[in-house]
Amino acid sequence: MSELETARRASKLETAKRLANAHFQVEPHLKFVCVLKPLHDQDPKDPIRLLEVVEGTIERGFEPIAFAADPARGIDYPVVIIEISPEEYSSVQKNGPVRFGNHDWDLGEEIARA
Amino acid sequence: MPSGKSNAEAIDVSWARGYARQALSDLRIREVLAAENAEKCHRLHFLQMAAEKACKAHLVSQNGHENVRKSHAYIAKNLPLIARHFYSLGNSNASIAQWEIEQIRVLAREIELLAPACDDGDHRRDNSEYPWEGSDGEIRTPCEYSFPTIDDGDRSIVRLIRLIRTAAEAYSH
Repeated sequence: MSELETARRASKLETAKRLANAHFQVEPHLKFVCVLKPLHDQDPKDPIRLLEVVEGTIERGFEPIAFAADPARGIDYPVVIIEISPEEYSSVQKNGPVRFGNHDWDLGEEIARA
Repeated sequence: MPSGKSNAEAIDVSWARGYARQALSDLRIREVLAAENAEKCHRLHFLQMAAEKACKAHLVSQNGHENVRKSHAYIAKNLPLIARHFYSLGNSNASIAQWEIEQIRVLAREIELLAPACDDGDHRRDNSEYPWEGSDGEIRTPCEYSFPTIDDGDRSIVRLIRLIRTAAEAYSH
């Protein structure tokens, strides 16, 4: 992997962490955020996928919601948020990959409220 | 006449289903537009249309097609009511449901004003479809406008979209 690719990878994960922390500020019932893998670091058009575990949310399975990139605010990649309940998250942890859009995504780094 | 009433009800169900399915289609297009970084006006336009049709699906199912006005001004009043219906049923924690409904209420008003026909008594000409004359006399164009009063990158949009999907799916079968 080239230095440029390495830098891009760090930037993508860092963006995910920054977004997660911003979401904790505005969503009091957000318990934690899981970054889904793979991140596809080499493709800046491929979105960051955040699995967000929210207490009390309606349980509807994996329902991706897309957000455009917003470079003016330091978000250089599109973002997809999948909101699930703690019970749904427990099921994912037991039963394996997250499936939506005809792809499987694995649980990656878990970001907790600071 | 019993058979006549039954037929009218069937027609209302068909109208509600039609609005609901179109709302889901509008939401799918919003997803595509957001993923492709389309201009904000287009992302907001499809969000506004989806919200309006989900509201109409709900109202037609409750009140009948003939009693639903042909207007765009449905969202601010009805989306919070729909939120109360769905969130209070699906959530045993009242404080969480209250938080969700309040978020929807704030967004619903701004989304309603995105329709060209909804201008808040000529105070808000900004809309997601057509150019308008600003208060300074300059012509504003939706695809170049920032729509500063609504942030479709905000986390609260997730709640709104999930509500629209939930309501639309409930009436789409």
